[in-house]
Amino acid sequence: MKIDEELIEDSGSVTVLAFDTSTAAFSAALVRDGSRIDSVASFAERNHSVRILSEIKELLERNGMKGEQIDAIVVGQGPGSYTGVRIAVTAAKTLAWAWNKPLIGVSTLEALALGAWLKLRTENEDLADDRDIWIVPILDARRGQVYTSRYAADHSGGWRTVDSDAIRLITDWAELIEDEGTEDAQVAAIWFIGDTPLHQAAIEAAEQSGTRLRMLAWDMDATALGLLGELKFRLGERHDVHSFVPNYTQLAEAEAKLLAASRGE
Amino acid sequence: MSGQANEAPSESGSLLLAIETSCDETSVAVVRGGREVLSNVVSSQIDTHRQFGGVVPEIASRKHVETMTIIIEEAVREAGVSLTDIDAVAVTQGPGLIGALLVGVVAAKSLALALDVPLIGTHHIAGHIYANSLVGDIIYPSIALVVSGGHTEIVLLEAEGKFRIIGRTRDDAVGEAYDKVARALKFPYPGGPHVDKLAQEATEEVVLPRSWLEPDSYDFSFSGLKSAVLAEINRSRMKGEAPDFSALARGFQQSVIDVVTGKAIRAAKEFGARQMMLCGGVAANRGLRERLAALCEEAGVPLLIPPNKLCTDNAAMIAAAADLKWRRGQFSSLDLKAEAVMSLEDWSV
Ligand SMILES: [Zn+2]
Repeated sequence: MKIDEELIEDSGSVTVLAFDTSTAAFSAALVRDGSRIDSVASFAERNHSVRILSEIKELLERNGMKGEQIDAIVVGQGPGSYTGVRIAVTAAKTLAWAWNKPLIGVSTLEALALGAWLKLRTENEDLADDRDIWIVPILDARRGQVYTSRYAADHSGGWRTVDSDAIRLITDWAELIEDEGTEDAQVAAIWFIGDTPLHQAAIEAAEQSGTRLRMLAWDMDATALGLLGELKFRLGERHDVHSFVPNYTQLAEAEAKLLAASRGE
Repeated sequence: MSGQANEAPSESGSLLLAIETSCDETSVAVVRGGREVLSNVVSSQIDTHRQFGGVVPEIASRKHVETMTIIIEEAVREAGVSLTDIDAVAVTQGPGLIGALLVGVVAAKSLALALDVPLIGTHHIAGHIYANSLVGDIIYPSIALVVSGGHTEIVLLEAEGKFRIIGRTRDDAVGEAYDKVARALKFPYPGGPHVDKLAQEATEEVVLPRSWLEPDSYDFSFSGLKSAVLAEINRSRMKGEAPDFSALARGFQQSVIDVVTGKAIRAAKEFGARQMMLCGGVAANRGLRERLAALCEEAGVPLLIPPNKLCTDNAAMIAAAADLKWRRGQFSSLDLKAEAVMSLEDWSV
């Protein structure tokens, strides 16, 4: 994960508008050339549809920006609250279509993880050796489940996806991460971030010695979303506005039942 | 200087783009001056929901997201206008399925922001009623009989944009009752039209009760009638006979039509209506249309019924209603909130 001088020189100045409503937070940011210009976050209980456009409008006006000046719209594609993720995705699709701008979808979980890592890497320099640090974002998905994925980061700026987005049982998932962390001496620490207070007991129960298991309660910061989106944009990634849909990671309940019935389960 | 004024006539009217996603149709329309439909694109999800035997709200919402910008683009292209010509964006604010409404509301707000034009949150039932202004002139005072899958209401319009509900259902909506009876008669979802057809073809009728409620009431109740149908089916089965579905369909339909049209006509007389309007998805019901037309003729009250494609949920009707607010400069803020339950009377101009 790097937006360096060389890349900026190659692809010119880039400004993106990024926002996400998949979690309890509404977060939007303007990001230019690897840095935050301005951002906003609010915690209107599952009511992101009310303020989202006013917040975006104010963010743009406050920075003297108009739609034409934005190079791309970056949106958190989920997973997360079904209704929540639809709100940002619908706004992003419609704005991108109306302004005729590229649309870039970014995993909500990856943005959550990167945002946490950008904070952690400065505060945890004791871990600044060349070993990987696993960042495991979790968002509560009820009934003991979480939306989650796994990233490997290092202090020299390395960032890669180990496991992609899925819905998992937190008890099994925490155990698996800890087992693999024990086997793999390359891991300097394991950070569970996101909705950790809700799942603290399950994560702690999985802890094994030597993995340096840590937890950080962390909310979405659209700056990280913007950074990931800007990088994708510079690398030429685009989503088709019309066919772009949220990543729910699972079928709707009625679809799952129908599928089970058709298989005779 | 005798320069001829060379301005475009203002009667050509404003261009409203409207979005409707209150249930299982994704629809976008472009309407000029509240009357002239330039496009009215409707994407029905009916094939998707049929396999579930009814509308699944979560799936409806997912489908709206999938099709939203495609339908907006189609509506603008079909209207032959440029996006920058749009004067305002109208959207169904409620009532309806909240998750479905949200998609349309957020899309409309995004468009209003992107195009820097006013937003007009619109009442779904006002849309059904003002679908009539797309096919004729509404003369006030007017009585609107609104019958659909979610609504059964008698609305008095004393003047343009002034809504007063004088009767509503206390339990099931007409369309809902039709679908439930259709299920009992083993028809696939949506079964309303099948019941209508079977009733039309029937030669016998099982006479079922009429639910008139209090003598002066304009309210409706259909749950008792639905139960009566089920009881008749059971009674036949107990006797080891096959129930006569067509006679039952006829009995059910006759009871519904008697009560619905009877109350609408009584309201027209009591309030001195100069016009009757039939609106909503169930307005496609042939038996209902024919009876109401006969009663209106007898009472000397002209009847207006939009063509079927303007009776079922569509965005052109939302534009027609939103025009009431547009002409009065009554706009919504960007903080417009989708409402599952919403008062029609409060939405009056
Ligand atoms: Zn309707």
